[in-house]
Amino acid sequence: MNQDFAQSTHSVQTKILRQRTTSRHASRATRFCYALLLTAPLLLLGGCKFLHGATDTLGLKLEISEVVGEQPLRLASATAPSSYKTAAGDEFSVTRLRYYLSNFRLRRADGSWYQAPVDAKSGAGYFLVDAADPASQTFEFMRAPAGDYSGIAFMLGVDDARNSAGVQTGTLDPARGMFWTWRTGYIFFSLEGASPQSTADQHALSFHVGGGGTVSLARTVFLPSGDTPLRVRANVEPLVHLHADVAALFHAVHEIRLAELNTVMEPAQGAELADNAASMFRIDHIHHEPRAAGHTQ
Amino acid sequence: MVLGLACWNSDAAARLYALLLASATPQLQVPAGWPAPHYDFADNRISRAGFELGRHLFYDPILSRDDSIACGSCHQQFAAFAHLDHRVSHGIGGINGKRNAPALFNLAWQPNFMWDGAVHQLELQPIAPISNPVEMDEQLDHVIGKLQADARYPAEFRAAFGSDGIDSQRLFRALAQFIGTLVSADSRYDRYRAGREHLSTVELQGLQVFREHCASCHREPLFTDYSFRNNGLDRTPQDRGRADVTNAAADEGAFRVPSLRNVELTAPYMHDGRYATLDQVLDHYIDGVQPSATLDPRLAGGIQLNAAERDAVLQFLRTLTDAAFVNDPRFAEIHE
Repeated sequence: MNQDFAQSTHSVQTKILRQRTTSRHASRATRFCYALLLTAPLLLLGGCKFLHGATDTLGLKLEISEVVGEQPLRLASATAPSSYKTAAGDEFSVTRLRYYLSNFRLRRADGSWYQAPVDAKSGAGYFLVDAADPASQTFEFMRAPAGDYSGIAFMLGVDDARNSAGVQTGTLDPARGMFWTWRTGYIFFSLEGASPQSTADQHALSFHVGGGGTVSLARTVFLPSGDTPLRVRANVEPLVHLHADVAALFHAVHEIRLAELNTVMEPAQGAELADNAASMFRIDHIHHEPRAAGHTQ
Repeated sequence: MVLGLACWNSDAAARLYALLLASATPQLQVPAGWPAPHYDFADNRISRAGFELGRHLFYDPILSRDDSIACGSCHQQFAAFAHLDHRVSHGIGGINGKRNAPALFNLAWQPNFMWDGAVHQLELQPIAPISNPVEMDEQLDHVIGKLQADARYPAEFRAAFGSDGIDSQRLFRALAQFIGTLVSADSRYDRYRAGREHLSTVELQGLQVFREHCASCHREPLFTDYSFRNNGLDRTPQDRGRADVTNAAADEGAFRVPSLRNVELTAPYMHDGRYATLDQVLDHYIDGVQPSATLDPRLAGGIQLNAAERDAVLQFLRTLTDAAFVNDPRFAEIHE
């Protein structure tokens, strides 16, 4: 092994040496070309920045309310039971509801999209919404240049790149309990509760939808803003109020009967729920509020 | 000085280099002729403090629910970090798992982990045994809490990562610095390949037989192609194996092809540890392969070896034992 190591070091040195020799032989004209090639992109980049002059971005806020049809969702507990009916008539209660929202984009009036740059090393831009934690339901979902936008898009879940990267931090910390332990991948959407129709132990409902692999269960949700554009201004802050309708989880695309599907613990079982969950969201309304001064970046 | 010695006596230089190496923090050096590793330490620079923290964690039962089982409990250095004499993993309270604790080395080259490949990245791998109810049965947030409340870990994490704080990323990056630098590449076979050692005539015959009959799956130099195959243990697989992950019918009963490096030390064998000796393993491949719909076609009808070839392969397999690796003091349990 010692010799192997010495050999590989040696070959690297030879390569460097060879490169040096070549560059010494390069003519002045070639070198000028190289210099031009190297600097051109820099000039171009600088130029773009100068022309746009609009790298300043402004925050946009999201507020999410979980509902069941027209009623607010109340999480059930031992002391305060609370139950609902699916469109097909199955009864259910929810004790826990958590999901990831990520990859937010804004649609410009001309149909093109604005997506904020992502820092691959932090969990920024990945939001873990917990129906039991009001602090997780209102957040700045992205920053964007001033302008009018005609809709938002986001992913319900975590993209493939993050799903198979190493151990992440922040909201993506696997200690948050939304990471499958025996197989790589995040749980994108998790609902726990009970239903008298459930055939599982103690009539439980356990829906853990997510995971990576060949077919991702992350779904992209697009919500047009309708008649009111999202106005992002230095002095106006938009707040998009989303409703997440849990009833849609059981009928939006595929009808789910709780006697048949009550336990989903691996990606292969979750496709129908993933489709339905992506249809839970709608924009209820958009506020535009005066923005506190000094918030540009 | 090393260079001077090298001119005078290359063997002495090699020994001196080995001595220096033995006291240094392991780095991930790619042995000559090996492919590029899969795990990239660029985002997780190996340092002495980081490696030593990983080693401390590896041998510390604090990672299990009742502080009774460490990674090192089922991954013993003298067994090339497999679990000697245990068919399947042995969890807290003496509960048995369903699969054999694999040997740990050259993990930086491995594209995915576990017998069924369910884990895709080295840092994420330890989450599985820590959380598994039949192994360490602990929750990650509890582990982080215990480490934060510990008398020594906060300082060790600070030393390893340059600032205060313990989170999952730091925990698993430190562990990766330890398990990712467990490199085994100094067996007699390796020294033979490097022209530094002779193998006996029988061992060389064994190498030839091996290359003809075994190397298509146990590919040199890592002695595995990291594929998943059904090697004919059962007509009806008792464990779905790779199909647990892919849900593909073709993967029923398929398991990772394990590396054969250090195979002499890593008994018992197979995903469920059913064979106690290498003799039994060879018996299986020669006349025990069971037909099934997902049997690897290369194994249909078994591997035809005569008695001399069988004995030669067995002798060759023992040249894959890396004594330096299993005795490397840098990887040993810390006794306090």
